[in-house]
Order: sequence, then C-alpha cells, then structure tokens
Amino acid sequence: MRFRFRELPAAGGGVLTPRPVVDIALEGLDAAPVGCLLDTGALRTRMSAELAPLAGIDLSGALTEDFFIGGLNTAGALARVSLTVTDGADEFSWDAPVWFCDPWPHPFGLAGLEGFLHYFIVTIRAYDGYLDIEPNP
Amino acid sequence: MPTMTVAGHRYDLDPRTVEAALDGVLPEPIHEHFVVVNGRRWPPKQVLARVTGLDRADFTTHQARRALTRLGFPAGRAAGTRGHHPAVASSPPPAFGAAGTQETLAEALRPFIGLWVAVRGDEVLVAASSPKEVVAWLARHRQRAQSMFRVVDSEQAITGAAPQ
Repeated sequence: MRFRFRELPAAGGGVLTPRPVVDIALEGLDAAPVGCLLDTGALRTRMSAELAPLAGIDLSGALTEDFFIGGLNTAGALARVSLTVTDGADEFSWDAPVWFCDPWPHPFGLAGLEGFLHYFIVTIRAYDGYLDIEPNP
Repeated sequence: MPTMTVAGHRYDLDPRTVEAALDGVLPEPIHEHFVVVNGRRWPPKQVLARVTGLDRADFTTHQARRALTRLGFPAGRAAGTRGHHPAVASSPPPAFGAAGTQETLAEALRPFIGLWVAVRGDEVLVAASSPKEVVAWLARHRQRAQSMFRVVDSEQAITGAAPQ
C-alpha cells in the first residue's frame, strides 16, 4: 500500500515540507481514518483521547502513563484496539496497543513501533514523497 | 442590495446576509455544483434554503447557483463530476487559483487552517472545530473519508508531535 507524503498549506503561502502520514482507521470509526505521522523514533502509537469515545472505546480503568511529548506533559490511556489501513484496493487489519492521550494538541496521531511499525515492512521514499507499507508476514 | 425572485417570492439579499446565515453551519456533501462562501464550498441549494427559509424542493440547483453568483459568490463544479477538475466560474477573484490549474490538497486545505478536516483524495469533505463534529457530519451524510486530521500551518506545529 502506498501513501503519498501529506502536504499542508504554509501560513505565508506555499506548502510545508511534506510528511510521511498513514491513515489508520480505528474499529468503530471506519469512516474517518486518523492521519498518523510515521515516527520511527517513537515507541508507542498515540492518538487524541477525543477519538476514543467516537469509536466506542472505553478508557475507564485503562492503564495510564504520563509523558512529555513536544515539551508538553500528557497523560495516555492504553487500549488494545483493532486497526485498519487501506489504499482503496488492499486492506489490512491488526490488533494493537494504542495510547489515547489528553491533552493532544497535535495535528496528527503518531504511528510508532508498538502498534504500527512492528506489523509492517515500511519503505520510505522521502525524496520521491511517498512510503510503501506491506504487512509483516 | 440586489432584489431577486425565487420560487415566486422576492428577497433583498446581499453577500453579508448570506455569509452571516452560514455562520456555524457545516456544508453538506458536494455532489456536483458548489458555491464558495466564507472560504468554503457549499451546495447552492443548501445556501439558498438557509438564507430564504424556502424548502429545497421549491427551486433548482441552477436557480440557486444563479442567485448566488449574482451576489458575487464564485461557483464551480466538483472534481470527478463529468471529468472536470474544480473550476471556479463567474465572479472574480477566483477562489482556487487560475482557471484550469489542478487544485492540490494543500491549497484545498488552506481555508481550513486550525480546523479538523476529513478529506478524500484532494477534496475536503468537511471541516469543523472538533473531530466529534467531523465524525458526526460523516455519519449524517453517509460519507467515508480517507483521512481525518487537523490542519496546521507551521513546521513547528507538526514536529511538536515528534520527540525532539
């Protein structure tokens, strides 16, 4: 499956440097896959805690951890959820741990080692502006 | 203030009245035609119904489009309909760059900086202030997005999500 790097508008005109973003659908929120920044340096896969209730994910009693991200103190609650990626033709689903974080002022989720990279072979073609992923056999 | 007749009723409308009537309202899905108001694309019938209080069955898309372009709002046809790329017609200035150029996702996102969006291809389906509103809109209109995220306009806002 191929994901083109995501371009966003820059404040002064033009575009920001395109970033590797994969769209990951939470079970229960299939109509709105969450854009997640691919982060090979991140241990966890993280998303905004706002998304959990929208997908019907109950975080009460979940394991939590406090951590700093981008200089911001954030609390994450762990849930094991079913995730799906698709390019419109192929689709792959897997169960993985995701940390739902509050506050989460960031524009994307983070796709890290646990939850995402452990499940795929990822080829990043940054110069060409895309990445390919295939399920890890 | 232009006076126009819609479905047998006379209305005095101006652009500010239209813009104010759409404040806090989310655009419905674009099937083919759209008008640009407040930097967003709207189905012409949604706009005119909102402004006049008329039932949408009382007028056609073309009547709505004509009424709104008379007020100076750009109108166009969505990509993927009849093989056209987005093209803004009638009133200057064009909202999406020179006619005939392909709109990139980044340019389509520009009016929505700071908002959560749901996109499919290069099309912005909906923009709202929270993911909850975006998801509710998708469910209400039975739409599926390719991606949902918040539009930011600085490198710092993106890299802030990654460990430094």
